[in-house]
Amino acid sequence: MFGLWIMDLRESLTMSSNKFNSMADRNLIREEMTENVKSYFQRLIPFIFSLLLIFLSYVPLDFFLSENIRPAVAFVCVYYWIIHRPDIFNLFSVYFLGLIEDVLSSVPMGTNILSLLVLYILLLNFGRFFNGKPFIVTWYGFAIVCLLTMLTKWLMVSIYYGQFLPFAQVAFSYLFSVAAYPVLSLLNAFVQNYLIQDEV
Amino acid sequence: MKRRRSLFIHLSYIRILAKKFAIVILVISAFAMMLLNKTESLIIEKTSSVATDMISPMVDFLVVPARLVAGVYDYFGEIKEVYKDNQNLKEENKKLLNMYDKMKVLEVENKLLGSLLNYVAPPEAKFVTARIIAEEGDAFSHSVIAYTGNGDAVKKGQVVLSDRGVVGRVDKVGNMYSKILLITDINSRVPVMVEKNRVRGILAGDNTSIPKMIFIPLDAELNIGDRIVTSGVAGVFPAGLPVGKVAAIDKNNVTIKPYSNLDSLEYVRIVDYGLEGIINDEQQ
Repeated sequence: MFGLWIMDLRESLTMSSNKFNSMADRNLIREEMTENVKSYFQRLIPFIFSLLLIFLSYVPLDFFLSENIRPAVAFVCVYYWIIHRPDIFNLFSVYFLGLIEDVLSSVPMGTNILSLLVLYILLLNFGRFFNGKPFIVTWYGFAIVCLLTMLTKWLMVSIYYGQFLPFAQVAFSYLFSVAAYPVLSLLNAFVQNYLIQDEV
Repeated sequence: MKRRRSLFIHLSYIRILAKKFAIVILVISAFAMMLLNKTESLIIEKTSSVATDMISPMVDFLVVPARLVAGVYDYFGEIKEVYKDNQNLKEENKKLLNMYDKMKVLEVENKLLGSLLNYVAPPEAKFVTARIIAEEGDAFSHSVIAYTGNGDAVKKGQVVLSDRGVVGRVDKVGNMYSKILLITDINSRVPVMVEKNRVRGILAGDNTSIPKMIFIPLDAELNIGDRIVTSGVAGVFPAGLPVGKVAAIDKNNVTIKPYSNLDSLEYVRIVDYGLEGIINDEQQ
């Protein structure tokens, strides 16, 4: 009788420990899943934030500068994230940003994609010279890379239409983009520092 | 089993190659899009309209909070101007009341003369008022997106007006949103004429804020400040709509300053004059 009771106790103990193990496993799996989902969304943050800034740049506001020229927000975002976090901002993010801008604007479809891809290729080759450098160096870097990209875009659209687009407008747009870089990169830096963990 | 294995090896090889040449593939796809766009195919046009319908609500969502923030700043700036504006508006109202009386007399006279000549008046235009939700005006294109579409019977080619004059024409129409090409865009060509002497020309946008008037007769007499209105040639825009005034005349160019402030459009009127100047999608 006593022996039977001992056997029962042992069995119930084993069962409860099994139950405990499976619960712990489940919790572990749940935590891992939450972690994975979190990491997945964190990888998307730079793309989503860039998209938000691009959308904002299309909002109609009576701007104090004439001619309604706005900074090339997509250039700044692509430059910033490729330089600082190329692991979470890849080629496809660049492509989709270009595609969405093409849809919003009235330039020939594909123009923004091509210009952002040109920027991506330039950064693949020269990005290492600006990475981890003081802010002023990255700003100069943006000024150079943005100039080349904007000239390429200007040339592409001019060829497409068969006539040169007004160069003064392009120059103004370029200067405005370079001037807006510190503010826009500050916003991106805020997102990088506060919303994205280092080990995504 | 062996075939499946070799297929798997092939697939993984293709995948590695695709990764390696992803940039090249994406660059080629972008070029292909540009070429397709150049052919003005219906597929690209419809895809673009659908995509605009999908993406525009996201910009629309940001318009109200962004305007609210900008509005607070403007409010304090504008409060100083209110008194001055009020005085000016009172003066303007007096003049307008005078003009209204004269207009009423002319309207009756016009009706009487019309009936004497057996004149058939054109049908009244229908219009839709739309809110602007996105705008761009850089060196590469000048357009706006309005919150109105197929549902409001908006069609490609319809005339877009502001309270001051011609703004542009409808370029692409989605279900809820329409893209409007401004008269300053490089693709815009509007047949116009000088109001006082009926000299005809074409208003050609060049992506600057002051479009040019081209194809003007060599002996034409033009002065700075002359009113430019639509000529009605080609049947897209009806005759007589105010466009702008002559801003500068030099050897090669006549530049026109549009009446409408194209940098800060909030609402526009999309007008259906029943004209079929632009080939519609079904005909294409």
